[in-house]
Amino acid sequence: MMAMDQAAKRYPIRDQIAIVGIGSTAFSRDAGGRSPASLACEASIQAIHDAGMTKADIDGVVGVLEPGAPRANQMTALLELPNVTHHSGPMPVAMFGLIDAMTAIFSGQCDTVLVYYAFTRLPWNSRSAAQDPFRRYVMMGGGTAKPPMPESIDPSAAYTAWASRYIHEFGARREDFGRIAINMRANAARNPKAVMKTPLTMEGYLSARMIRDPLCMLDMDIPVDGADAFVLTTTERAKRLTKNPIVVHAATAGMVGRSDEDQLPSLARHGQHVVVESLKARGELWLDDVDVFFPYDGFSIITLGWIENVGYCKPGGAGRFMEEHWDEKSGRVLINGRVPMNPHGGSLSEGASRGTGHLREAVTQLRGEAGSRQVENARTALIGCGGFFFNSQGAILRRI
Amino acid sequence: MAGQLSDAALVERFPWVQISHDNKELFRGWLDQRLLILRCRDCNRFHHPPKPICPECWSWRVEATPVSGRGVIHLAMFLRQGSPAPGVDYENGPHPVVTVELEEQPGLRFTSTVVDAPIEAITIGAPVELAWIDRYGAPFPAFRLRKGAK
Repeated sequence: MMAMDQAAKRYPIRDQIAIVGIGSTAFSRDAGGRSPASLACEASIQAIHDAGMTKADIDGVVGVLEPGAPRANQMTALLELPNVTHHSGPMPVAMFGLIDAMTAIFSGQCDTVLVYYAFTRLPWNSRSAAQDPFRRYVMMGGGTAKPPMPESIDPSAAYTAWASRYIHEFGARREDFGRIAINMRANAARNPKAVMKTPLTMEGYLSARMIRDPLCMLDMDIPVDGADAFVLTTTERAKRLTKNPIVVHAATAGMVGRSDEDQLPSLARHGQHVVVESLKARGELWLDDVDVFFPYDGFSIITLGWIENVGYCKPGGAGRFMEEHWDEKSGRVLINGRVPMNPHGGSLSEGASRGTGHLREAVTQLRGEAGSRQVENARTALIGCGGFFFNSQGAILRRI
Repeated sequence: MAGQLSDAALVERFPWVQISHDNKELFRGWLDQRLLILRCRDCNRFHHPPKPICPECWSWRVEATPVSGRGVIHLAMFLRQGSPAPGVDYENGPHPVVTVELEEQPGLRFTSTVVDAPIEAITIGAPVELAWIDRYGAPFPAFRLRKGAK
């Protein structure tokens, strides 16, 4: 903890970097005839225009290494950005891109960064994608020649495995997982960008096809085609550019050493715990300040983890917590009757954006531009991104 | 003994796994139906999956060491779909995948399948032992429920 205490004492980047542009294609189950590069360009140009900028303003390019997405150097050429002094390719999920952009700007490597993420359904997770000859070359994680064994505990299977442990330790019920899925679906109904808007009931959840027991299809995010992009610059410059810059109060990644999926110490000690400790040490805002909560939901078990680990309730208590904070009228969670959880529908129902949807919606809500989904007077958003192993991350965003 | 098998021959015996200089001794062990786990000769700690150093004390003196293969199921899932493998027929029923905490060291775990057991008997906390099965013509370490164990 020594290192964390030391770093937190001096967290000079707090509130110093702002998000001034957002752009997004809508998500879809099939973008039909469009490449990831095409989607990434659309979102990027939107974000640059949203920031009131032109290509000459962008001197940093952060292209997150989603399978099939154009690399940062390719994007620089795609948009013919004339003067780029920082470019990089962080791993998914979303906050790695955000954090890289922040630190590049704060350190002076560049002044204004385009961060983009493009998603393309892959042959292994989408039957229709498997029919597309242009997608055959796209492999998860850059591709290995050998297909995994059925017993490989890859990151996605590992969430199911640890869900079994969660059920074993806490006596969790399938309904506890179902409430996560239902909350996201109810929220997605009010988001024009979402792909899954058909109302979902508990009966519907309980009868959904099992994929890997104990998790079913509705516990797993929905593969989509689409792209999100963001433009970041210094808060100082943002104040001159826009009336409502959204600043990053604090952001962090979090890992424990034993992060091999099946060797994780326990549900009581993994990446999410490090993220929470780091955000609390680096930021000055926490749950009492939070107006809108974004727990990642690539798998429902991850969301249960975030609800507990940020401290809304005790370990094992997320199911009960959601029951107690369930708003019957809108069919979703409203914490203390006020704070929604993923008002855009999350990865489960808006689409599997590995957290970029969460980040985009946080900015949209804090700007007060969320239309019928708007959380009244939203000033602070908490994002718990990623899962348990190597990609746990978090951020606190606020309106200034 | 497979211990004498060349690296090239070893790779040919396991065309379906990614063999490296860090894990090769484990696969040589499989050919002799011995489950080996890397263990540090300085601090005595086992670690898995295989790494070139002991992640605990950073000693380079790690050595593939036989373990009993006995342990207790720590995580359990049942695949209704997944990667292909001989003898794995998802149409015939879910394929169990378990992470077993080995008796040699708390937190030391090995993931494989369970054979010869009804799905409902494969539960977290159940004691298991090794059961070698054949996969693509080479031995593959699986588990079976350990009878009479508490």
